[in-house]
Amino acid sequence: MSYLEIKNINKRFKDDIVFDDVSLSVNKGEFFVVFGPSGSGKTVLLRLLSGIMSQDSGQIFMDGVCIDDLDPNERDISMAFQNFALYPHMDAFENIASPLIAQKTSPDEIKKRVQEVAELLKIDHVLSHKPKELSNGQKQRTSLARSLVVRPSVVLLDDPLRNVDAKIRYEMRLELPKVLKEFNTTVIYVTQDYKEAMALGERVGVLANSNFTDVDHPTHVYKKPNNITSAKLFGDPTINVLNASNISSGDLSTITASKITIESNNPNLKNQRDLFLGIRPEDIQISNQAHEGAIKVELRAKTPLNLRTVYLLRFEDGVEVLASASEEESLLIDDQKDFYIRFDNSNLNFFDQSESLIQ
Amino acid sequence: MAKLIINNLNKVFSVKFGKNVHAVKDFNLNLEDGEILALLGSSGCGKTTTLRIVAGFESPTSGEIRFDDRDMIALPPSKRNVAMAFEGYALYPPLTVKDNISFGLMREKLSKSEIEKKVKEITELLEITDILHRYPSTVSGGQAQRVSLARALVRTSDILLLDEPMSQLEPQLRAVLRARVKDYIQHNNKTSVFVTHDQTEAIALADKIAVMEGGELQQLASPYDIRVKPQNVFVASFIGEPPMNMLNAVYQDEGDKINFLIKNENNENAFTLSYNKTSIDQSKIINLQNNQNLVIGIRPQKINFDSTDVNHNANISLTSNHWLGDQIHLGFELNGINIIGVADRNFSVSNSMKINFASSSINAFDSSSQKVIFNGF
Repeated sequence: MSYLEIKNINKRFKDDIVFDDVSLSVNKGEFFVVFGPSGSGKTVLLRLLSGIMSQDSGQIFMDGVCIDDLDPNERDISMAFQNFALYPHMDAFENIASPLIAQKTSPDEIKKRVQEVAELLKIDHVLSHKPKELSNGQKQRTSLARSLVVRPSVVLLDDPLRNVDAKIRYEMRLELPKVLKEFNTTVIYVTQDYKEAMALGERVGVLANSNFTDVDHPTHVYKKPNNITSAKLFGDPTINVLNASNISSGDLSTITASKITIESNNPNLKNQRDLFLGIRPEDIQISNQAHEGAIKVELRAKTPLNLRTVYLLRFEDGVEVLASASEEESLLIDDQKDFYIRFDNSNLNFFDQSESLIQ
Repeated sequence: MAKLIINNLNKVFSVKFGKNVHAVKDFNLNLEDGEILALLGSSGCGKTTTLRIVAGFESPTSGEIRFDDRDMIALPPSKRNVAMAFEGYALYPPLTVKDNISFGLMREKLSKSEIEKKVKEITELLEITDILHRYPSTVSGGQAQRVSLARALVRTSDILLLDEPMSQLEPQLRAVLRARVKDYIQHNNKTSVFVTHDQTEAIALADKIAVMEGGELQQLASPYDIRVKPQNVFVASFIGEPPMNMLNAVYQDEGDKINFLIKNENNENAFTLSYNKTSIDQSKIINLQNNQNLVIGIRPQKINFDSTDVNHNANISLTSNHWLGDQIHLGFELNGINIIGVADRNFSVSNSMKINFASSSINAFDSSSQKVIFNGF
């Protein structure tokens, strides 16, 4: 099933290690998202795949064949860019047709293929427009159409929705997977936006610290990230990480973090005296009543976030956590009364001293 | 701290070989002592010009700026007693981070121990205690922005002005710093104006939001009212994530019920939304004319997924289902019209789910004036 395969890639710029022994395999027709903070090497990875840059060591395979010695134009891979990179003097039709002209495709065939891809991307009514007459959304669609018109086996998309407004971004989020499925192409999609990664990716590869820290379904990465770095890249607000101590007796581990106590029979927690507790803001339950196991906290600030509400809360020992509640939940909370919180035990994670997930 | 009063403010930039630019048009504002205002809009909307006029870096073409009852127009920036954080940070390169922050306090003639105390508090709050002895050129963009913010927050001033104060902050820190900064500003009763293009930041921090576009104030209201009672199509579609669903429609009065004929891109009827007159607040619709063209706005979060009674005649298909951790984004097609909905994170999504639009979720705008007719009815 593996179609695009990266094996043991190393890449450095002088002293800066971009990739340290990176391997990855992507299936045919898969929508794969590469997600990571700026500077993590996402764009470098696309450059290696497209052939405009080469790795120091390691190999890249497509359909079982090593493509390292192929020039960019010999690879069955095309790319669309964040900043559109359209030719300003050509109209949308000519921009989209340009790779076909380079391949010496017949004029009739060019017309047919441009029309087809333009209809799918809903830009067939602006094909005679020059880039400066196109809206940002239309520019992005034109750039996308140009990368798809050659019907590549693999298409590389470098943060294509970064420079378009929110409305177009949401439209494209819904539409893009459908359009790309029509072309039956394998997609490598780069983004810095965790929501985009989760919405679009059949699988997500989290790129941080010179390697993939997680490669899995977005839901799994969100719920069970392999380490704290990965965990913190998801969520707005992001995960709370608290220092915790653990006392094990027999099979039972009792973990304490700022008065919150959790008991667990997980054998992997044994012998981990100091660890980190990770809990997402939406998994902290807030109440004005002292339910069993709830800990009193002080409300420091309340900030609305879209239709949710984010509470900055402080334990007696000064440790702060962020909790978030939906609009309905927040209506039940009275800011003037005492605050008590509980952690949803089914959704919390423990990390060891090296910040790796304790399974 | 002081009240900020802006009356009939105008700023026209004259352009030698082109049309003059009317950057700020008849802007009025009354900000109470200790209130936080966000000037929100996309680039070129006039928000930064307004801030610069309040600071004194720009003089208005006409209008009045007062701090309490003191007229500011004639005063240079240094005499206005404002503290400001600049978008480009403007840190002093030869001074350490700590000296950058305490510089303004030394001019206030505070004692050394008072300065130490204040600097300690603000640098702990902004998590920059570990870089106090570094120079600006050696810190990251996110850190430099926190230093610039610290320098402005720590000053004693009548008005605090912040230009895109959190745009470069590390995403993982943003939520917690927003909350702490809000707490600090409220605690110290600082009258504040900040400029931002980020609605999340505006909604999180501000007591009042001024949405600007084309130099004009579109709406000035609390974050809640901006969201729930948008006064025109621009504000409605600018605020909210995912954006509000905006549908072109024609109004029809059918005696005991009212209809909205929802139009597709080719102006053909896609489907009809109907409400019984007995189930709605009829005072909201008295100004509607039969066959009036409307824009109907529905927030993705306000769409009903579990309702059994259906008030439209569209066939629904679920086109996408994105679980995003704390919420689910759903895409639907209703007879060719795309609608985005947001469901709770634990909601169980099914392909055959019904969707429905409660009357309270319907915002109606006149399509020619773009102004609101009602927000829920």
